[in-house]
Amino acid sequence: MQRHPLPSAASASLQAAVPLSLSHRRTTPRPIPSADAPAEDEEDIHDPRPWESLKHPRTYGSAPNSSHSTHPSLGLSSDRDTGHLPMFHTDENEARRRVGAQPQVYGEKEGLNGAGEKQGLMDEDVSGKWGKPHGAGPGVGGRRGLPPRQRLSGWQGIYAEYEEWIWAAVYTILSMITRFWRIGAANYVVWDEAHFGKFGSHYINRDFYFDVHPPLGKMLVGLAGLLSGYNGGFEFKSGVEYPADLPHTTMRVMLASFGVALVPIAWFTAGEMGWSRFTRHWVTICVLCDIGWLCISRFILLDSMLLFFTFTTTLGLVKFHNQRHEAFGDDWWMWLIFTGWSIGCVCSVKWVGMFAMAMVGVYTVEDLWEKFGDLKMPLRTYIKHWMARISALIILPFLVYAACFKIHFLILNRSGPGDAQMSSLFQAHLRGIDFAESPLEIAYGSKVTLKNYGYGGGLLHSHVQTMPVGSQQQQITCYHYKDDNNHWRITPTWGADPVDPDGPVKFLLDGDTIRLVHTSTGRNLHSHVIAAPVTKEHWEVSGYGNETIGDEGDHWVVEVVDDTHRSRSDAKDGRVHSLTTRMRFRHKLLNCYLRAANSVLPQWGFKQVEVTCDKENNPKDIHTYWNVESHWNERLPAGSAKLYKSPFWRDFLHLNVAMWTSNNALVPDPDKDDILASLPTDWPFLNLGLRMCGWGDNQIKFYLLGTPIIWWFSSIALVLGMGMTGWYILRMQRGYKDWKVGEWEDWTHVGKVAFAGWAFHYLPFLIMGRVTYLHHYLPTLWFAVLIAGHVLDHLFFGNPRDNRPQSRRLAWFVVWTLAVVVNFWWFKDLALGVHGNINDHKGWKWRSSWNIYN
Amino acid sequence: MSLARKRRTEREGSPALPQATIHRSVSDDGKIHHPRPRQAETDLRSEYLFSWVTALSLTVGAFIVRFWRISHPDQVVFDEVHFGSFASHYIRREYYFDVHPPLAKMLNGLAGWVVGFNGDFGFENIGDNYTVANVPYIGLRSFCAIMGSITIPIVYAIMRESGYPVAISAFTAALILFDNGHITQTRLILLDAALVLFMALSVLTYVKFHQQRYREFSNTWWFWLLATGASLACTLGCKMVGLFTFMSVGSAVVWDLWGIMDIRRGHDMKYVWKHFVYRAIGLIIWPFMLYLSFFWIHFKILKYSGPGDSFMSPAFQETLQGNELLLNSQEIRYFDTITIKHKDTKQFLHSHPDPYPLRYDDGRISSQGQQVTCYPHNDTNNFWQVLPTKELPESGRGRVVRHNDIVQFKHINTQTLLLTHDVASPMMATNQEFTTVNPDDETRTNDTMFQVDVVDSHDGEPWKSLSGHFKLRHVPTKVLLWTHAQALPEWAFGQQEVNGNKNQQDRTTSWFVEDIVADGTGNDFRNRTNHVEPKAIKHRSFIKKFVELQILMLQHNAGLTASHPYASEPVEWPFCLSGVSFWTDSETSQQIYMIGNLLGWWICAVGVSVFVGVVGADMLARRRGLEPIEDAGARADIPGIRNRLYRNTLFFLFTWSFHYFPFYLMSRQKFLHHYLPAHLASALVAGSVLNFVLVETVNYPISVPGLRTRLRPAIRAQVGMGGWVAVGVLTAIVVGCWLWLAPLTYGLTLTGEQVNARKLLSSWTLHFEAKAQD
Repeated sequence: MQRHPLPSAASASLQAAVPLSLSHRRTTPRPIPSADAPAEDEEDIHDPRPWESLKHPRTYGSAPNSSHSTHPSLGLSSDRDTGHLPMFHTDENEARRRVGAQPQVYGEKEGLNGAGEKQGLMDEDVSGKWGKPHGAGPGVGGRRGLPPRQRLSGWQGIYAEYEEWIWAAVYTILSMITRFWRIGAANYVVWDEAHFGKFGSHYINRDFYFDVHPPLGKMLVGLAGLLSGYNGGFEFKSGVEYPADLPHTTMRVMLASFGVALVPIAWFTAGEMGWSRFTRHWVTICVLCDIGWLCISRFILLDSMLLFFTFTTTLGLVKFHNQRHEAFGDDWWMWLIFTGWSIGCVCSVKWVGMFAMAMVGVYTVEDLWEKFGDLKMPLRTYIKHWMARISALIILPFLVYAACFKIHFLILNRSGPGDAQMSSLFQAHLRGIDFAESPLEIAYGSKVTLKNYGYGGGLLHSHVQTMPVGSQQQQITCYHYKDDNNHWRITPTWGADPVDPDGPVKFLLDGDTIRLVHTSTGRNLHSHVIAAPVTKEHWEVSGYGNETIGDEGDHWVVEVVDDTHRSRSDAKDGRVHSLTTRMRFRHKLLNCYLRAANSVLPQWGFKQVEVTCDKENNPKDIHTYWNVESHWNERLPAGSAKLYKSPFWRDFLHLNVAMWTSNNALVPDPDKDDILASLPTDWPFLNLGLRMCGWGDNQIKFYLLGTPIIWWFSSIALVLGMGMTGWYILRMQRGYKDWKVGEWEDWTHVGKVAFAGWAFHYLPFLIMGRVTYLHHYLPTLWFAVLIAGHVLDHLFFGNPRDNRPQSRRLAWFVVWTLAVVVNFWWFKDLALGVHGNINDHKGWKWRSSWNIYN
Repeated sequence: MSLARKRRTEREGSPALPQATIHRSVSDDGKIHHPRPRQAETDLRSEYLFSWVTALSLTVGAFIVRFWRISHPDQVVFDEVHFGSFASHYIRREYYFDVHPPLAKMLNGLAGWVVGFNGDFGFENIGDNYTVANVPYIGLRSFCAIMGSITIPIVYAIMRESGYPVAISAFTAALILFDNGHITQTRLILLDAALVLFMALSVLTYVKFHQQRYREFSNTWWFWLLATGASLACTLGCKMVGLFTFMSVGSAVVWDLWGIMDIRRGHDMKYVWKHFVYRAIGLIIWPFMLYLSFFWIHFKILKYSGPGDSFMSPAFQETLQGNELLLNSQEIRYFDTITIKHKDTKQFLHSHPDPYPLRYDDGRISSQGQQVTCYPHNDTNNFWQVLPTKELPESGRGRVVRHNDIVQFKHINTQTLLLTHDVASPMMATNQEFTTVNPDDETRTNDTMFQVDVVDSHDGEPWKSLSGHFKLRHVPTKVLLWTHAQALPEWAFGQQEVNGNKNQQDRTTSWFVEDIVADGTGNDFRNRTNHVEPKAIKHRSFIKKFVELQILMLQHNAGLTASHPYASEPVEWPFCLSGVSFWTDSETSQQIYMIGNLLGWWICAVGVSVFVGVVGADMLARRRGLEPIEDAGARADIPGIRNRLYRNTLFFLFTWSFHYFPFYLMSRQKFLHHYLPAHLASALVAGSVLNFVLVETVNYPISVPGLRTRLRPAIRAQVGMGGWVAVGVLTAIVVGCWLWLAPLTYGLTLTGEQVNARKLLSSWTLHFEAKAQD
C-alpha cells in the first residue's frame, strides 16, 4: 500500500467531509462516441472532475493544471463500465488496470489510509515525488508546500531542518577538492589557454582585439588576471611555461570556481524536479564525477563560465516553473529575472548560449499557450504575463548582452590587433590611432586605405598571389588587419595628366574618374567580364597591369553618397573627406559597383573576403559604400583633431556582424586533417577524446574525455525516455490508467525541459557548417544527465507504483552511484593530469578510437 | 455497441434534419443502399455529366497546351543531355549510373523503343541537333507530354473526390494546366512528368482509399490501398523525392491509425493490429517489392558493360558482359612488372631520376630524394616490379601475391625501391613524402615495406590486375599511398603530387593495377597462361547489387554540391523568383526559360498563407472558447466545413510541406523544378481555400457509407453566381499570365524589348534582353 503524506490539517478535514459516493454521483450514462464520429467530437464530452472540487494543496493559486493526464472519460464511475455499457471484452484484471483499482478521487485514499500513517523522517522517498507538491504554500526551496515537519530535537532536528543546505555544502566541498586538486601543477599554457589567456591580457593592456566570441567570458578572464596580479605582459604561446610573475594557479582557481559551482547548482536544480532524494543525489554525483566537466573547468577557458550560466539558466527555469501557482509573487519575479539574467550572461559568453535561450523560449511559449486557454484568467492578467516575460526574458538578456559590449568598448580604448574589424570612425577614437590627424580632404596623389562601410567590412587589399580561377590575375580582397598591402594611391586616368608634384594640389571631386594603384605591387584595380570566383553573378575584380600597362578596365568613377558628419550643403563642394565621406566606385566601362559583402574566399585567397563588381546598381546597398580610412599626403595640412563620434549601437551591431562573418568562416578545411575536430555524431557515445596538450613523457598530460558510463548511459536514457513516453501515450490512447492525477504532467514537464534542452544544444550542431569539437557537447550533456536521472527515478528510485521496499531502492541507488564513482576514479587522472610515460598507465583505452596511448 | 450508436444518432439527429428522406433499402444481394437524401436524382446526374464534360475538356486542353509545337526545338534541351542518353542506354542495354532510381528513365527508354529509336545518339551537348541525327525525339517527348497531360484530370479528380464543387476543382486543375513551369518540364525528355504524375496519383488513390474507411477490408478498400502503395512505389521509382510523398501519406496514415486506436471508438486491439498490419503490407511491403522490381528489371535490361561500370565494385562489374575486368583480369605474381593507376584521378604512379628540390617556396626542406609523382600517360617510368619479402617456392601458386602480403616495389628504369618516410610532402605539410632509394642501402630497407590491402577481400585472396582495387599501406608508419588532383611546380614538370595519407578512412586512396607488363623473366606475362579462356560473366545476387547501387546513389546524390549558375534556394521557389535557362538559340533569339506561371504561383502562395492563417486563427479562438468555424453537425446546412478544412486541406498542406521544407536541409544543388511536386500540392491547398472563401459548403458526406454508418443528410456545395464569376476572373488571370510567358516556354522568337517586357521580376535572368539606354 502506498502511503501519502498528509497534505495539511485543513485539507484533510475537507477531504473527510467529502462523501465517498462522490465519484458515483453522476448517474446519467454518457454515450460512447462511435466509430463514425471521429476525434473532432472530443470537445463535446464534458466530464466533471470530482477531484477538482477539492482544495488540494497542489491546486493553490490559479487554476489547477491537470487537464491532460488521461482522457476524462476514463475516470468514469464503475457503474458505467461494469454496467450496461461494457467496453468490449476485458477480463477482470485488465478492466481494473484501465480504471484503477478504485475510483480515482484524489484525497479519498488519503482520507482512508494516509491520515493514520505516521510521518517518519525518511519516509519521503516512499511516497516519492507524488506526495510532494511544488510551489504551493509556504516553505523553502524545493520543499515548498510540505506539511510542517514533526519537530525533532538534537542533531536529527538540525539535519531535518537544514538537510538541503548540509548536502549542498558537502557537495561544494567535494567539488572544490576535485576542481582545485593540483590545479597549478601543469605550469605551461595548455590548449586554448593560448587564446583565452591572451584575450585576458588584452583587457589588462586595454588593447582592442577581435574574437568570434562575445566578451563576457574573456572579461572575466581578464578580471581574474587583474585580481591575481598579472601584469598582462605574457604572450600565452601554446605549450610555453608560465613565467614566475604570472600567477597562473590563482587565475585558474578563480575560473575553476565557476566549475565548482556546477555541483551545488545541479543539487538545487535536481531538487526542483520533484524526484526522490536518491535521484537528486545521483544526478549531483554525476555532475561531480564527470571528468569532462572536471577537466574543462580547470584551465583558463571560457567553458567553465559557459557551463555555469547554462546551469543557472536551467535552475532559473525550473525554479520559475515551480512558482507558477503564485504568479507575480516575489519569488516568481525573482526567479524569472534570474532566468533572464542567466540567459543574458550565457549568450554573452558564447553564442551557443542562444540554445539555452531557445529552450526557455519554447517553455515560455507553451506556458503562454496554456494560459491562453485558461478562460478564467482575466485578459489583463494574461497581458501582464506576456509583459513580464517579454521584459524579463527578452529585454533583460539583451541589455545584459549589450552592457557586456559597452564595458568591452570602455575597457579596450587603445589601438590593438582587432582595429581593422571596426568602422573607421570607431577606430578614430582609440588611443594610438592618428586618423584624426591625417589630412582632411583627399587629393590626387594621396595614399589612402579604403574601408568597406558594410557591417564587418574590411580594408581593400591586394597581394602578389594570383587567383587560380577566372582571369588568374592578382587577387583583390578585403582584409581585416592593417598592413602595407592595404595602401592605394589615387591616380589620374590613363591619358590624363599625371600628378604634378609641384603644381597646385588637385582635390578629388564627386564624379571624377580615377585609377586606384596598389602601392606595393603597382597593379591597378581592375574589373572585366569574367565571373567572380565565389559570387558568380558579379564580375571579377583583379589587380592588373602596372605603371605603364593598363586599359580602360582600370577606370573607376567616384560617386559620393553622403558625409556622415557634414550636412549636404556643407559637402556641396564635392570634395571627398577622410573618414566621414561615404562613396561608391562605379566601373567606368561595365557600370558595375565595387562591392565586398562578407563572402569568404577559399584557402587560396587565405579566407579573406571576396571583392566583386556588382552589375546591379543598388544605391541602398552599404556593401558598395567605402570610406577613406588612413590618408597620407605630405602636401596637405594635417586635419583638425576634432572628435569623430561613433554611436555605440552602430559599433555594437558592427562588431556582431563581424563576429558572425568570422564564425561562418570557421568551416572545416577539407585539405587539412584536423585531428582535434570531431563530428557531432561522435559525441553522445564518446567516440573520440581530445589530447589537450603535447604528449611528451616529461610533461603533465590532459585528455578531454567524459566519464564513459555517464555519457553512454545518458545517451541510452534519451532513447529509453522517448520510448517510454511513446509507450505510455499509446497506452493512454487505449484507456489504460497508469498515472495518477498530476503524475503525467510531472513526467512530461521534466522530460520536456530536459529533452528540449538537449535537442536545442545538440541538433543545431548537426546542420552547422563550422568545425566542431568534443567540448561543444559539454553543455548538452547536462540535459542528457537530467534525462538519465529522470528515467532512473521512474524505473528504480522513485516510482511509487511498484511496492518496492525502501531497501531495494537504496540498493539500486548504491549500484548506480558506485558505477559512476568507480568509473570516475578509474579515469580521474585524465582530467587531473597524467604524469610520466602515458603508456605506463594501463586500462584507459576502452574504445579503439581513443588516442590516449602513443 | 449498437446501443451506443443508437443513442448517439438520436441525440445528434437535429430537428432540422429531414429524417423522413433517409431510408435504407436492402436489395436482393443483401447490400444496403444509401440513396442520398435531399438531392433529386436528376440533379445528381446532370452534375456528374457536367463534371465529366469538364474533366474531358481539361484533359483535351492539357494535351493541346503540352503538344503545341512539341517538335520545337529540334535540339537537345537542358537535362535531355542526361535523360535522353539514359533512354538510349536502355535501348543499347549498356550499363550506366545515375543518382535517380530507374523507373522514369526506363519508361523513357520504353517510349524510345516503341517509336523506333535505335539508341545511336549521344545527347552530348545542349543544342545538338536531333533532325540531323535522325532521332525520333518527338515520340520521346510526346510520351512525357502524355504523362504531363494526364496529371491534369488527376488533379481535377483529387479535388472532386475530396468533395469540392466542379468550379473549384476545375480552377485547381487550371492552375497546373496553364502553368508554364509544369508545361516546360513535362514536354521535354525529363523525369519530372512521370514524377509529378505518380505523385498526384498517390494523393488521389489515398483520397479514394480514405473514402472507403467505413468499408474496411472490403475489396474496394483493398484495391485503393494497394493502388496507393503502387503509386507511391512508382513515385519513389522516379526520384528520391518520392520519399516525401511517402512521408505525406504516412503522416495521414499515422493520424488515421491513432484515431482507430482511440479507446472511445470501442475497437479492440486485435482490430487495431489488423488495420496496422494491412496498411503496413499495402503501404510499406508492397511498394518496397515494387521498388525492388524496378531495379530487377533495370539490371535485367542493362546487361552489357557501359559508362557506369567504373562507379561499381569489381564484383558488380564482373556481372556485366564485355567488362574489362572479365577480359583481362589476371592474378599478379611476384617479380611481375606492373603499372599502377589511381582509381579516382586515373593517373599512373610514376617516378623519374629528378630529385625533390632542397627547399620549397614556403621554406620547408625536402629529403632531396627521387621524385615520385602521378602521370597521366603511358611511359616506361610507370613500370614497377613487385618484390617479395619472404621465401618463395620455385613455381606454382605460391608465387601469387595475396591480400595483406608485404611487398616492395622496384622502379624498373632507375632500379630503386619505393619508400616513404617522416618528411613532409611538397604540397601538404601533414602528409608524408614518397621517394625511392637505392636497394643496397640496408638502413632504409624497413621504410620500403608496403602491405597490399585488397579492398573487400578475405585473407589469402589473390591480388588481381584491374579488378583488384587495393590500398597500399606503409608498414612502419601506416600511411596510405595517395595522390590528389594538385599539380607540383615546374621542378616536377607540373605532374600530380603523390604523398602518404594518414587518414585510413579516406575513400580516395584506392589504386588498381592497370596492366602486367612483364613477368619475372622479362617476358610477356601472357606466356605464363597460354590459353586465356574468355571468362563467363559471374552471377551476383540481386539484393547485393541493389544494395550496392542504392548506397552509391545516395552518396552521389549528397555529393552533387557543385555550384550551378541557375541553381536556386528553396526560399525563392514559391514566389518564382528565379528560373532556369533551358535552351537558347542566338540566331533566331529564341530561348526556353523554365519559370512558373508567376500569378498562378502567387495565387498558390497566397492560398497556403491564408489557410495557415485561418487554421491558426481558428485554433487560437478555440483556445479562448470561441468557435469561428463551426463543428460538423452544429448546423445542418454546413456540415463538415471545419472537418474538411482540418482533414482534407491539412493533408494537402502537409503534402506541400513534406515536398518543400526538406529541401532546406539538403546541401546538394537545387533547382526550381524541384518545387513542382510541392507546387502541385500548394495548388490543391489554394483550391480548397478558394472553396472555403467563396462557397462555404462542400459536398458531404464524401466517404462511402459502411454497413453500420450513421446516415447523414447529403449536401451538395452551392457555388452560386458570385463563385463562378470569381473563379472565372482568377482563371482569366492565370491564363493571361500563361499566354504572356508562353514565348519563353515554347521557345518563340522575341525581340529585345519583348524579352524585357516578359522579365516580370528583375531577378529572372533572361537572355537577349535589350540593353537599357544609358
